[in-house]
Amino acid sequence: MPESIKDKIAIIGAGCTKFGDIFDQSYEDLLAEAAFAAFADARIEPDRVEAAWLGTFSPYAGNGKASVSLADALRLYGKPLTRVENYCATGTDAFRNAAMAVASGVYDVALVAGAEKLKDRPVRGIAWEGGHPYQHDGLTAPGVFALAANRYFYRYGADRTALAKVSVKNHHNGALNPKAHFQMEVSEEQVLKAPIVAWPFGLFDCCPTTDGAAAVVICRADMARQFGANYVLVKGLGLAVTSGRPWYDAAYDYVGFAATRAASEEAYRMAGIRNPVGEIDLAEVHDCFTWTEICNYEDLGFCPKGEGTHFIGEGRSALSGDLPVNPSGGLKSFGHPIGASGVRMIYEIVTQLRGAAGARQVRDAELGLVHNLGGPGAVACVIVLGRS
Amino acid sequence: MIGITNYAVYVPRRRIRRETIAGAWGAKASPGCKAVTNFDEDSLTMAQAAVWPLAQPGVEWLAFASTTAPYWQRSAASLIAAACDLPAEIATADFSGSLRCGTSALRAAFDGVGAGSVRSAVVTAADCRDGAPESAEELLFGDAAAAVALGREQLLAELVASVSRSDDFPDEWRRDTDIHVRSFASKYSLTRGYTENIVAAGRAVLAKAGVKGEQVARAALVSPDGRAHLAVAKALGIAAAAVEDVRVTDIGITGAAMPLFLLAQALDRARPDDLVLAISYGDGADAFLFRALADGGRLRPDDGATEFPRYPLYRKLRDWWRAAGGLTEISNVLLRREEHQNVRLHGSLCPQCGLLQFPITKVCGSCHQHGALTETPLARRGHLFTFTSDFLYDAPVQPTVMAVVDLDGGGRFLCQMTDVDQAAVEIGMPVELVLRRMREGAGDHYYYWKCRPAPGGANHA
Repeated sequence: MPESIKDKIAIIGAGCTKFGDIFDQSYEDLLAEAAFAAFADARIEPDRVEAAWLGTFSPYAGNGKASVSLADALRLYGKPLTRVENYCATGTDAFRNAAMAVASGVYDVALVAGAEKLKDRPVRGIAWEGGHPYQHDGLTAPGVFALAANRYFYRYGADRTALAKVSVKNHHNGALNPKAHFQMEVSEEQVLKAPIVAWPFGLFDCCPTTDGAAAVVICRADMARQFGANYVLVKGLGLAVTSGRPWYDAAYDYVGFAATRAASEEAYRMAGIRNPVGEIDLAEVHDCFTWTEICNYEDLGFCPKGEGTHFIGEGRSALSGDLPVNPSGGLKSFGHPIGASGVRMIYEIVTQLRGAAGARQVRDAELGLVHNLGGPGAVACVIVLGRS
Repeated sequence: MIGITNYAVYVPRRRIRRETIAGAWGAKASPGCKAVTNFDEDSLTMAQAAVWPLAQPGVEWLAFASTTAPYWQRSAASLIAAACDLPAEIATADFSGSLRCGTSALRAAFDGVGAGSVRSAVVTAADCRDGAPESAEELLFGDAAAAVALGREQLLAELVASVSRSDDFPDEWRRDTDIHVRSFASKYSLTRGYTENIVAAGRAVLAKAGVKGEQVARAALVSPDGRAHLAVAKALGIAAAAVEDVRVTDIGITGAAMPLFLLAQALDRARPDDLVLAISYGDGADAFLFRALADGGRLRPDDGATEFPRYPLYRKLRDWWRAAGGLTEISNVLLRREEHQNVRLHGSLCPQCGLLQFPITKVCGSCHQHGALTETPLARRGHLFTFTSDFLYDAPVQPTVMAVVDLDGGGRFLCQMTDVDQAAVEIGMPVELVLRRMREGAGDHYYYWKCRPAPGGANHA
């Protein structure tokens, strides 16, 4: 049996910028703001960091290109820096790589930073650079998940009203969060009447394109107390990758993501979780589209396959529910600067476990889960975090 | 004995009523409608669709004829041959320059088959000429393709005689720089150009065969206007009932495609022993006389057609390609290496578990066998597994329907769905794969497969 990372890594500092249309700040400005906030939170000087990992999905105009983007943003030179890109699981995978390096004993203190500046790009939405030049022409990010949602509807008889409830919930949570991209409530009727983007997704079923950065400082758990008592421990980590072109796989049923199932099984094994819904107190999951969140409930084992619509319908994932999901507002409301998102989710769980989440605070938050899902549901990363 | 072994036609599924066009210009409408390409079709894709049912093993020569080829330089015939998965060891040829280019190719094919240099040949002709806005041609011109297969065995019709005439008559032309046809449409052009040439060619071919016009059972006579061919038939002594409907009221004047289209139509209506006359016109005339050896009845009725409700959308789609872009430069190394996969539609068959899969792979997606997978053609029909109607993708008509298709016999495919009203899309519907023009990029056209509803199939999820 391979070892577990449980209780070997501590998060001692976390920082996050305001997310949104940050027209007046650059990629480096955002990265510096998040990283220096994390340094301050950890009560360390930048030089204390021995190694760093940067998560950026899509470099543009040099921003996010290789690890030099982090070195220049922080003026942090001469250290081992690595850029990670793994679709929308970029941020969590950057964290995972840093955690593995510290767990190996080679480094004591490391920085994980994620940043994306989508509003600086010349095109709307998220470009799929590096894909086949024409084979998938016509396929957009919402389209990828809409293919799955339509099949899920066909198989389980669900419809758009269940999706709308996810949007209403996440907008409600985001409205309580001063750093969220959108701080406004929406009604179910508004969601259902919004223009269609890719059937069955309307505008309010889709996360926005957002600018933002987030950072955390980690260290060996046995050193954590040196930096204060406010640390959070890594309980489990899982990453799983499936096909990046699942549409050619005749065995793919389109109603769930095997990557999430495998990544969560691994994370649960390390954390010793047998009953996710009973043991986990809150979760930040990848709601790139409303249907994805419903699918995640099932793939993460919060409810059986096909019953995710009941999980949202019965209010179980609401702030007041038995397993609040996306108390931050989620990608839907907090925003989704791709490489930043996973690190931002860790920031949210750390904030919640510290009891510092203000109006959106989940009561008795002891064990939290972070979940990223990248590409066409092909890259999933699950991180379980706990308070001591 | 040489003759025709098969034939097929392709008519795009979009229509526009002439009153819709005329109404946009405040002009007087002529009757009927015309068939027009969807925005992702051109002469090459229409011809490919016409050739596909004729693309049998043993074809040794493939000719493409059009006055609206998508390339000045690049063989549409070679691309069509690949898309029809014909072997590299065939001759291909591209004909152009005249509305007679389809029959020029037919004549060359008969010469080749007659001389024994090729055993079997396929000739396709397609046109999608764009009449200038507010012109008579805009009302008349329609888009279509036809293909005929020629050989020495299993003939549907034998070639009895053929003649050609050349006449550099100045009635209709396009310079190398012109987008739209220029013409001297006049009674002079009609009588001295069209009528004189066709009648002379008709008389010559009948005389060569030693038959009279009244013996002709089916006459496929091209027409510039839907009327003039009736006078030609009369002059040749051909009974009015024998004259093929030139389809001007439901398809339009289809340019280089018209002679082969009407020939296919005439053969389809012929009975054994019927004499079938086909005459083309354009800078001269080509005439062919056939004797039918079998009943026709091979052409299936037109698929359901969609009408453009308003003129502006028609005009926008007609002009779209001139400004289209979107794809970045594509590596010719990649294009070449993937030809068998992306153009010939081959997948990989696993010898261990029997899984047929796309794209071509060295490692089986199911049992992970490595190295022994064999390249295998995929079926071009299947059923819709799932889909979405996407309004985000930048297309000339929204939404873009994206489809996941389970192909008959194995392989799952992802592609756009075309020629469809999004409201009619449902999981399980039968679809067929069709070659279409994708977005433009870096100064080139790119062709790939889309799917569209397949008539006559049953739903299967």
